[in-house]
Amino acid sequence: MNDEVLTVSSLAPALAFLVPVVAGVLVLLLRRGPARAWPVVAGVGAAAVLLAGVRMVTATIGGAVLVTWGGELRVDALSALLVALIGGIGVLALLYAVRSMTGGSGGHEGRERRLCLFYALLSWFLATMAWGCVTNNIIMLYVAVEATTLTSGLLVAFYWDRRGLEAGYKYLMLLTIGITFALFGCVLIYAMAAATGELAGGDALLISEVRGVAHLFPAGTALVTVAFLVVGFGTKAGIAPFHPWLPDAHAEAPPPVSVLLSGVMIKMAAYALARTVTIFYPGWPTLTVFAVALGSFTMLLGIVAAMGQDDLKRLLAYSSVSQIGYVVVGLGLGTYLGCYGGLFHLVNHAVVKALLFMCAGAVVYATGARRISELGGLGRRMPVTAFCFVLGALTIAGFPPLSGFASKLTIYLALARSGMWWAAALAVAASILTMVVLVRAATAVFWGSPRGAAEGAAVREVPGLMWAPMAVLAAACVLLGVWPQAIYPLLDGAARVLATVGR
Amino acid sequence: MTDDALNVALIETLCMCMVITSVSAVETRRLRLATVAYVVQALLLVGLLLTFATVNPALYGWAVVALLTKAVLTPYFLLRAIGRADVREQQPLIGFAPSVLVAALLMTGFYRLTHVHVELLAPGAMAQQEVFRTNLAVASTVFALGLFCVLTRRDAVKTVIGLCLLENGVHLSLVSLAPELPETALFGVATEVVVTVYLLLYVIGGVREQFGTTDTFSLKELQG
Repeated sequence: MNDEVLTVSSLAPALAFLVPVVAGVLVLLLRRGPARAWPVVAGVGAAAVLLAGVRMVTATIGGAVLVTWGGELRVDALSALLVALIGGIGVLALLYAVRSMTGGSGGHEGRERRLCLFYALLSWFLATMAWGCVTNNIIMLYVAVEATTLTSGLLVAFYWDRRGLEAGYKYLMLLTIGITFALFGCVLIYAMAAATGELAGGDALLISEVRGVAHLFPAGTALVTVAFLVVGFGTKAGIAPFHPWLPDAHAEAPPPVSVLLSGVMIKMAAYALARTVTIFYPGWPTLTVFAVALGSFTMLLGIVAAMGQDDLKRLLAYSSVSQIGYVVVGLGLGTYLGCYGGLFHLVNHAVVKALLFMCAGAVVYATGARRISELGGLGRRMPVTAFCFVLGALTIAGFPPLSGFASKLTIYLALARSGMWWAAALAVAASILTMVVLVRAATAVFWGSPRGAAEGAAVREVPGLMWAPMAVLAAACVLLGVWPQAIYPLLDGAARVLATVGR
Repeated sequence: MTDDALNVALIETLCMCMVITSVSAVETRRLRLATVAYVVQALLLVGLLLTFATVNPALYGWAVVALLTKAVLTPYFLLRAIGRADVREQQPLIGFAPSVLVAALLMTGFYRLTHVHVELLAPGAMAQQEVFRTNLAVASTVFALGLFCVLTRRDAVKTVIGLCLLENGVHLSLVSLAPELPETALFGVATEVVVTVYLLLYVIGGVREQFGTTDTFSLKELQG
C-alpha cells in the first residue's frame, strides 16, 4: 500500500507509554508522602502521553512513519490519532479526578487511603492504552489490550461496595474470556503469515509486514481468525452481543474512570479490531457487509436498551454501546469515506462521552443521586454542568452544527455511496432515538424548578477544577462541528491507513 | 522439522491425560481437589512442552515460565482464596450426570472436529503432522471444556479454574501454531494470566466479604 513512506526512527512511541508507567511507580513510592503529589505525578505521566501524541501527529501528518526498536513499535497517522486522543482525555480526566475523588456527596468513606493506588493504576491504565496503539507486534497487541483490562479492573471496583465489586468481577471475567479468543486470532495471524514463507522469522509478528502477505492466507483459516478477533476485541469494544459488561463497569466505576473507559478504552479496542480485521479486507471484501450489519445491530440495541434506564450513568453507558456501533459501521465499511467518518466519529464520541460522564459525575458529586427520577431542576443550581450536558446531548444526537452531526453525516454518506441504504436508514433511526433519549434525560435532570435530591440547600455548582475540563470538552464539541476541517489532515492520513476496499 | 525425533507415544499419553485432568477439574465439586486436578494438568503441560522442546529448544524457556506461573503461582493463589471457607463449590447450573454427559460430548466432538479439520486451524505444513494434529485437537478440547466450566458454574472460584483451563488450551496450541514466538511475547502472555487470576481472586475475596458468598447468582445488584 504505502510502500514509499518515509520511516523515521523516534523515541516518542516508547516514551508515550514508558513515562506513565514510571509515573505510576513513582506514585506508589510516594504513598507515605503528601497526597497532593499523587495527581501531580500521574498528571505528568498523562501529559507525556499527550506530548508524545502531538509529536506523532505532527510527524505523521507530514507523511512520515515513526519506528522504535527495529519496527517493534510503529506509529502511523492512525496510531498518532489514538495516542493524542488518549493523552488529551487522560489529562482532562486527571484534572477532573483531583476534586471529584476527594469530596462531594458520593458517600464512599475510607477511599482517601486508597487514592494512591487509584492514581498509580490510572497512570498504568493510560500507559497500557498508549502501548496498544503504538505496538506493531501482533501478540503484544493482545498483551496490551489485556493489560488495559488488568490495570482498570481494580479501578472499576474501586469503591469496593456491593455494586462496585459485582461490576469489577464481571468486567475482569468477561473481558478476559473474550480477549482469550483474540489471542487465538492473533496467534493464527502469526501462524498464517509465517506459513506463507514470504517473511523472515520475526517479521511474521509485525502487523505492517503481515498486511502485505494477507492475500496468501488460506480462506478457511482466515475466516476462523476473523471470527476469533471479532469476539475477542469486539467484547472489549462493547460490540453487541458481547456488551453486557459495559453498562455495569461504566456505571459503577468512579467518574474519572468512566470517562476513560467510555471515552478512550473502547475506542482503543475498536482500533485493535480495525487494525487486525482490515488485514483481511482486500482478500475477502464481503466481510464489510458483516461488519456493517454487526455495527448496525449494536447501534440499535444500545440505544433501545438506553431508553429504559433510570440510572443516568447506565443510560450514558448504553448510549456508548450504540455509538461504538457507528464507529464499527464506519470503519467496517472499509472505504475511505467510511473510515474517515468512523474515525471522525471515534474522536467526536470520545470527546462528547467524556464530557457527558463528567457531567453525570458532577451531578452525583453535588447531589449524591444518580437516578433520573430522583433528580430535577438542577439547571438553576448548576448552570455550567447543565449547559455542558445539554450541549453534549445535542452533539451525540447529531444536532447541527455540533461535531456529532458532521461525523454522522459522513457515515450516512459513506453508507449511501456503498449502496447500503438499509444501514443508512438504521443509522438515522438510531440517531433520532439518541436524540429522544438524551434530550429527555437532560430535561428531566436540569429543567424546571429544583425537586428531589436537587432540593437540598447545599446543592451547588461543582468546583472549578471539575467544570474546567468539562468546558474544554464542550468547546471541542462546538469547534469540531463548525470547523471540521481542523483535524482533516490527521483524519485523512489515518483513514488512508485503514481504507482498503472500494472508493 | 519432522516428528520422527519426537516420542509420539509419550506425547499422545500426556495429551490424553490433559483431557482427563480437564474433565476432573470441571466435574470435581471440592474446590481443593479441582485445584489439584488443575496442578496435575499444569505439570502435564510442562511435560508436553519439554517433550516438544527436544526438537524446538526455544520451548525450554516456555516450559520454565509455564511451570512457575501455572503449576506454582496460580494454584497458590487459588488455594489461598479457597482457604478454610466452603470447600465445596456452589451448586452448578446443571446436575452432575448431564454435566458429565455434556463434557463427554464436548470432548469427543471437539477432538474429532479439530483432528479432522485441522487445516482450518493450522496453516503451516508442520502443524498438519500427526503429532501436532493431536496437540491442536487436545488444545481445542481443553479450551472448550474450560469455556463449558465458565458458562455453567455458579461458584466464582470455580469459574476462575475454568478460565485457567481455557488459557491452558490456548497456550498448548502455541506449541504447534507459533513455535518460534520470541520470549518477550511468551513472557507477556504467561504473566498476564497469573495477574488476571490474582486480581480476579482479590475481587472475589471482596465479593465474599460483602455478599457473604461466592455464588455468582447472588450478584444481582446491577440489572437492566
